Amino acid sequence: MPDFTVRSDSVDVEEIMGRIRARIREKRGVDYTEEQIRELASVKLERFLDPRKVRSELLQQFREGGISPLPNYSFEDTTLFESKRPWLAFIRRMLRPLLQLFINPNRLVQALHMQASINAHHEQYTNLAYEVLHNLVLETTRLGIEVKNLKMRVESLSSRLDFSERRARALEGVVMYRPGEEPEAEAASAADTPGRANGQGPSELRRKRRRRRSRRPTLAPGAPAGGNPQALAAEDAAGEATEEPIGEHGPGGQPADPRGEEGWPPSRPGSEDGVDEP
Amino acid sequence: MKLAVVAQRYGADINGGAELHARYIAERLARHAEVEVLTTCARDYVTWRNELPAGEDRVNGIRVLRFPVRRPRDPDRFGRRSERVFNQTHSDADEHAWLEEEGPAAPGLVKHLARGRTGWDFVVFFSYRYYHAYYGAAAVPDRALLVPTAERDPAAGVSLFGPLFRGVRALMYNSHEERALIEGVSGNTSVPGVVVGVGSEIPERTDAERFRRKHGITRRFALYVGRIDENKGCKELFDFHRRYARAEPDPLQLVLCGHSLLPIPDTPHVRHLGFVSDEDKFDALAAADLLVMPSYYESLSIVALEAWAVGRPVLANARCDVLKGQCIRSNAGLYYRGYEEFAEALSWLARRRPLAEALGENGRRYFEQNYAWPVIEGKYLHMIERLRREPAVASGEWPPRRPGWRAGRRAVLPPAASVLEQVPAGPVISRREAEPERL
Repeated sequence: MPDFTVRSDSVDVEEIMGRIRARIREKRGVDYTEEQIRELASVKLERFLDPRKVRSELLQQFREGGISPLPNYSFEDTTLFESKRPWLAFIRRMLRPLLQLFINPNRLVQALHMQASINAHHEQYTNLAYEVLHNLVLETTRLGIEVKNLKMRVESLSSRLDFSERRARALEGVVMYRPGEEPEAEAASAADTPGRANGQGPSELRRKRRRRRSRRPTLAPGAPAGGNPQALAAEDAAGEATEEPIGEHGPGGQPADPRGEEGWPPSRPGSEDGVDEP
Repeated sequence: MKLAVVAQRYGADINGGAELHARYIAERLARHAEVEVLTTCARDYVTWRNELPAGEDRVNGIRVLRFPVRRPRDPDRFGRRSERVFNQTHSDADEHAWLEEEGPAAPGLVKHLARGRTGWDFVVFFSYRYYHAYYGAAAVPDRALLVPTAERDPAAGVSLFGPLFRGVRALMYNSHEERALIEGVSGNTSVPGVVVGVGSEIPERTDAERFRRKHGITRRFALYVGRIDENKGCKELFDFHRRYARAEPDPLQLVLCGHSLLPIPDTPHVRHLGFVSDEDKFDALAAADLLVMPSYYESLSIVALEAWAVGRPVLANARCDVLKGQCIRSNAGLYYRGYEEFAEALSWLARRRPLAEALGENGRRYFEQNYAWPVIEGKYLHMIERLRREPAVASGEWPPRRPGWRAGRRAVLPPAASVLEQVPAGPVISRREAEPERL
């Protein structure tokens, strides 16, 4: 990243933030802010999580049903008899034995005390569960968006790859083989080849020819490529018929890969030694 | 001239934002006037338990009078009352019960103010939302200056505080956003007010290498200074930094200074140094690439001002209007809303040194123009001088009169949260702090 000199009096924080946001948009491709992700988490959750049957309004329902803060209280054995006015609290304490003649307030106190602690525990648990669920939903949504973006990138890359392949084949197709020159020469050399008589197959012969040719430093201009050209051409034709049933063109009508054919490497297009103009 | 400063807690080792602010102001004003501090015996801002002895004390040469708190706060009951006042239609009695429950209920302090009302020329109250400020300002209505230290939380929308904001002699705001908020909820535009903030003792020399040697820090880092708490946005900061460190090939380390209420992530990218001395803090700021401020609610961040004072840029949470506004007005910090902006802004500051230096230079200038002590002291003294010249105008609604028993229990007041929602939010961009304040 190139550094740049900044005069302190020319710095504009709002402009820098604008550039930072633009850079985030560039990086992300799709411009989702945190708020939008949250919105997506609540609105489009169904789309992302449908296979797992998670409801889109789950968070909303959970928040309304579970997280609404319920009032709680602390309930001790003295709570029933407390008062802001000390004299009233005193009278209540005095009359407590009398009250116990009629009812048993201890049971009541015990139950309410237990209830208060249950409420506190429940609230704590609900908050925890809500947090977990909330983070889970947000993270799942974020992942969903990321997966979608990655899929789009994969699609884009594969289409670019297809295009490159097609382009490569098209370029190779431009370099076409001109019959009647080299094949004849090669057919002649093939007729002299003892391997043929030894029962070697056409592909084996071709391989040998290639090796020989690569060892040969230069070919005199106008001289035959080697051997009997007719025989070589016939062999090649037979080899093509057995190895490449699709013939001169590759699958799907594309020109067959000329590498491995006789006459490779080809001359430049437009030159006079056996190659057609495109 | 004799001044009193009234704060909920006070002490050399009490480092809450408003309390530190009160101490700095008291110590600075003591150079120009006789200053006395009235406070409570509490140290803990959650329970207000009486921990310090009642009576006279001296802190850094300032006379301090401590008054006991009547009873500690019951968090459950306070939570229930807050829920009612903030989110439901409620009554005047509900609001008074909420304020009583919030505390620190120190009736002795209020009585002392009422008795000694002629002793001080002016009384400076800190933190509008507490018992001592509301009842204290009502006890000395013609001499009360308020430093509200208000954040954008529902307490600002409680109906009780409207008359307080309109009834005090003057308000010393911490930021333009705070002023806009208070003017929005109370319509107190006719009350004299000035955006002041607070200065800080900046050492003449800092030593980044000393800090690195002492703590064995070799990497470049972003610094956080303050209480490590979820309420301060630290949980989100840890999450964002974890993701940033995973994505970045050479990430900035996160160095944390302060008492922690959260588990610190166990990773080499995060270092927790605990509570550090002032010298260490300034050395750390000098050694850091930037200061990060993840808090959602701040009325003023002293540590952000200190970072600017030593020429370091700040990366602030954009959800905090005050911090975002200061970053924009000063051109000295970036801000983030969400992970991507956090990571990108952090990368920009880490990779583009000239930009970070330019922002830091702007910060230094911003601090000198607005938060250097002579500027702060001047604003206070100017306001006090103005109030001495102008006679106090009696307000019909302040000190407040309680309605009758039945009227006081009629649930007619709107939920505080809904009041706050109607007040426009966002940073104040147009008012530049460098411009002279209209007093």
